Amino acid sequence: MIRFGPAPREMKSMSNEDIFSSRLKLLIIMTKAYLKDCPIGEYRKQAILENARFVFYQSLKLSSEIAAITNEASRTQSGTDSPGDMNDAYIFHQRTQLLAVMAKALAENRLKGQFRKKALQDNLNSICETLIFNFHIKDMNFLKVA
Amino acid sequence: MSQVSIPNVKIAVIDDDLLARDFIVTVLMYCVNRDVLSFDSGLAAWQYMEDHGSLDIIISGIDVSGLSGFELLSKFKKKYPEKKCLLMSADPAHESSARDLGADAFLAKPVGVNDLFKVVETFVV
Repeated sequence: MIRFGPAPREMKSMSNEDIFSSRLKLLIIMTKAYLKDCPIGEYRKQAILENARFVFYQSLKLSSEIAAITNEASRTQSGTDSPGDMNDAYIFHQRTQLLAVMAKALAENRLKGQFRKKALQDNLNSICETLIFNFHIKDMNFLKVA
Repeated sequence: MSQVSIPNVKIAVIDDDLLARDFIVTVLMYCVNRDVLSFDSGLAAWQYMEDHGSLDIIISGIDVSGLSGFELLSKFKKKYPEKKCLLMSADPAHESSARDLGADAFLAKPVGVNDLFKVVETFVV
């Protein structure tokens, strides 16, 4: 029997945070694969659209919560996080939502042209820097078949 | 890795945790570029196979309603010994039982994107 996943001491049920971070990682992989010219079939497009929808609305919800906390903290001047940290988190979620919109566009064959692809790459770079995301492009070689 | 080893592979994911199940379905659908079936109970998955024939790969949670993952594994392997059954759980104690009952793989929760990519590389591509 083959075993996949975390060590026994790290096993737990999947929380909303686990699902959001995993789906965001998947969205990054999906868009990186597009920039690497991996083929996109109909079911892949459907998977991209479903994933982009989830990430967009979850990120929207989280950024709204961050904005509410920031507003409350500035009103009472008793925030636990610094305004800079909250602003960084807010910007990160704005970029995440933009990535979801870009992913939707690519699944609908609307992300054409070198400048749109550059904007996608720049947005990916910024999000990955924030996440300190360590996913190597060689890991998705198997996506080159469809 | 130049071709898909199971053409038109039929995969089902069975779990009563809707968010986790939908996430796993999305990853697998993206990887294999095929429709992936989704059931919230072991019984519903078994009834589907009774009506439509076997699936190539089933990935089931263990604490699901109707038939548990262990019961589904036993019935599935008895009827379709050549097909693949993967069990997933957040409980480390389930791993040895899954091995004893003949599961092809055990997915420890929380399941990540890379884990599912490895599943596809191991059992599909």
